[in-house]
Amino acid sequence: MGGKEAMLAVRDLTVASDGKSGGNAAVRGLSFDVRPGEIHLVLGERATGKTRLLETIAGLRAPERGAVTVEGEGAGADRRGGGGEGGTPAKARRRRTAIIPRETPVRHLKVIERLLLHATPRAAKLGISWKRGREEAAALAARVGLESLLDVSCEALRPVERRLIEIAGSIRQKPAALLLDEPTSKLGPHEARHFLATLHSVARAEGIPVVIATTWPRDAYPEGSAVTILWRDAEPATVSTAECTEGALVERWTGGLDIQLIPSGPHVAGDPLVRAQGLILKGRGRETSLAGLDFEVGSGEVLAVVGAPADGLDLLHDVLIGNRRPDSGSILFLGKEIAHSPRRLRVESGMTFVNPPIARDQSVEGFTVEENMILGQTHAPPFARRGSLRPESIRGNCLRALQDFEITGATPRTLLRDLGLGQRQRVIVAREVIHNPRLLVVRSPGQGLSLEEQEYVRRTLILQCERGSGLLWLTEEPEEGMRVADRMAVLTAGRLVWIPVTETLTREGIIAEMSGAAA
Amino acid sequence: MTLPGRARAGRRELFANALTLLVLIAGTHAVAVGALDWNPSRWTAPWSGDVVLVAAGLVFLGLAFLVPLHAGMINLGIHAEFLAGYSVGALIVRGRVFGPAGEAGLGLVAGALAGALVGVVISVLRRKFAVHEILSGLLLGSVFVPIARAISVERVTPPALSIDLPALTQPLRWVPGVGLAPNVVLGWGILLLTFSLVAAVMFANFLRTSVSGFEVRATGSNPLAAGAVGTDVEGIHRSMMALGGAFAGLTGALQLWTSPAVALERWPFPLGFAGIAVAFLGLGSLRGAAIVAIILAAWLNTPYVGTVLANPSYGAAAAALLLLPALWVLPRTFPDFGAPRSIWRTRHRD
Repeated sequence: MGGKEAMLAVRDLTVASDGKSGGNAAVRGLSFDVRPGEIHLVLGERATGKTRLLETIAGLRAPERGAVTVEGEGAGADRRGGGGEGGTPAKARRRRTAIIPRETPVRHLKVIERLLLHATPRAAKLGISWKRGREEAAALAARVGLESLLDVSCEALRPVERRLIEIAGSIRQKPAALLLDEPTSKLGPHEARHFLATLHSVARAEGIPVVIATTWPRDAYPEGSAVTILWRDAEPATVSTAECTEGALVERWTGGLDIQLIPSGPHVAGDPLVRAQGLILKGRGRETSLAGLDFEVGSGEVLAVVGAPADGLDLLHDVLIGNRRPDSGSILFLGKEIAHSPRRLRVESGMTFVNPPIARDQSVEGFTVEENMILGQTHAPPFARRGSLRPESIRGNCLRALQDFEITGATPRTLLRDLGLGQRQRVIVAREVIHNPRLLVVRSPGQGLSLEEQEYVRRTLILQCERGSGLLWLTEEPEEGMRVADRMAVLTAGRLVWIPVTETLTREGIIAEMSGAAA
Repeated sequence: MTLPGRARAGRRELFANALTLLVLIAGTHAVAVGALDWNPSRWTAPWSGDVVLVAAGLVFLGLAFLVPLHAGMINLGIHAEFLAGYSVGALIVRGRVFGPAGEAGLGLVAGALAGALVGVVISVLRRKFAVHEILSGLLLGSVFVPIARAISVERVTPPALSIDLPALTQPLRWVPGVGLAPNVVLGWGILLLTFSLVAAVMFANFLRTSVSGFEVRATGSNPLAAGAVGTDVEGIHRSMMALGGAFAGLTGALQLWTSPAVALERWPFPLGFAGIAVAFLGLGSLRGAAIVAIILAAWLNTPYVGTVLANPSYGAAAAALLLLPALWVLPRTFPDFGAPRSIWRTRHRD
């Protein structure tokens, strides 16, 4: 990495674990350089310490050991680091770096207000000079191609637009380094590409080094220059994207695990379970509306719907789980209209749901594993009778599930929050499949998990399909759709485009459909 | 038997609370002996029947805060419910329709219902108009203060409770200030304390063993997850606020039985909020609240406490000590996810 002097240098950095079981692992002895305009990725599953690492680089958290230098500014030992040598002091790093968290912090402001948030142009040192502010904000927004959205509320923006506005707002502070925590986690692959390309062009123009924490190997290509791989408690490794293809990166990430990618299907559809006709629902803000969806899922088959969350995938999921009612159209489940029925009725008629592992609405972290295993299933035997819980049945069910679903290191009395994310998702999947539901509505069930855990979750759900359940699998990941689908549709511009599942189907082909390029 | 607690407190919090209580009790004693020239030798009766009655009231008030807390609701309307119970009970006494004995019992029932109604109003305001229960509770409390003051109250004598203990037929010389017959103080006190403790144990059992209790705990821990599996989150909030309000209203109506000299009225801040101090000092658990209620009742009945708390400076210091545990216990009672967001918001939205 000769040539220009690195603007961001991390040397022998050690970040302690948070000490909780199921919590973040430690990062040990990490070193890398990021030159101006380069994007460096930190790749790791959830709870491997990525966010803590970014916070440490930004000076918000003291490292156990090591040093971070920003803009080649060695200013003695890192006083907060206690032992670091030659790094930029934490206080200076806090001032000179911009960190963008996973959840966008400002949502209720207009875009123009967000862009002017940190340095509002003043009029006579008292009021706000809106004329000058609008000009400045328009120039900033133009850097990310969103100058037409100045008067739109941030809440109404699509996720990718919200992310880009955060970038534009950050560069106004002229940071010496830009740090982003999982910026693509709520984006479809085509949106992620657009976001990373825009970010790269801005970083190059401004000469800012960028560090991105991510769970997606795909984010490294084609914009990333190098990738640091975090793998649980192992030593981190840094590879250059010029020397390592995406496949090789995944192999390196999961090296030695020998994950068996068991092919799914093909399955033959049985009796129709659910039939949606003419589903229409207006999107929130700039989200794409559902413009009349028709689909059917039969027993024993997997229908995968691939799309970006803001292209209608979130809306379709909301309609299926009963969070929102469609403006028009019908959903017949086993011959009954359920489009306007509450979630409980859907569950009672044999429909269950598995959401992404980080979804907050599918488990209670403060409950034990056995309590989470009966959540939503206490209105009928075997777990309750005449209004009272039946502890023996609950305990027996949990013990069986822990064994059958290989949830190691947990007992029925273990609190869910003490388990890792993958183990927690196994508990959820176990709860949802153990009673042979007629239809499983699955939404990105492996998001953020290690490839090993993702594969386990997929395999378990596909096995349920082979037992006769129908699976409606919603995902933003083309590869996931390809892995599981018997039939596949791409959600684009609020409509379904059906794609034949053949051996010639490629990720690029699906992404082209998602972005509308195929048309 | 493990009684469920809402707070996820550990040994450090337990130690801090014990220390707070110790400072409170020892500090009051030191002030009495030092600054107020209290002679400890005059303290001949550390225990009185009044302790029992006061402890019963404190346990009820603790329940009034803890019951909604288990469903994730901060019942700062506890004082409004307390005053509503007092006011409605007083109105019944003023009516003079049922005779003293009937009025005493009916006043309690009506007071409990009035408190429950205020609890329901608070939860409806939250659901329909997104008014947070903390705000509506405090506002309603301020509304009920003048109402309660406007209703002139005469003490009502509850029906004599026959307890087959010869000692109780004699006047108890160490409770002259209470102004109640000893059998009333001790007999009804024991009955009410027993009732409050049984209510606490029954509620704990309800939480632990029943399907509805499981739903209450799920709602309190993660309303999003509870709602997603079909639990009627709003219904649970409403019913738990009603139950908590009933306990607060009952305690309010109970004040009609006693004269202003009763120990509970020595409390250094608005009486209804005593439930919050009891709940936090008891680390959010029902068992802890019951123990703390009895300790505080004994403390309030020490002869010098009234004098110490009547001094504004010492009263303010005691109030601060009583509410201090909120600093470390309150954050531990929040729901699982995004505590600051979920507890302060009225409509959960991702």
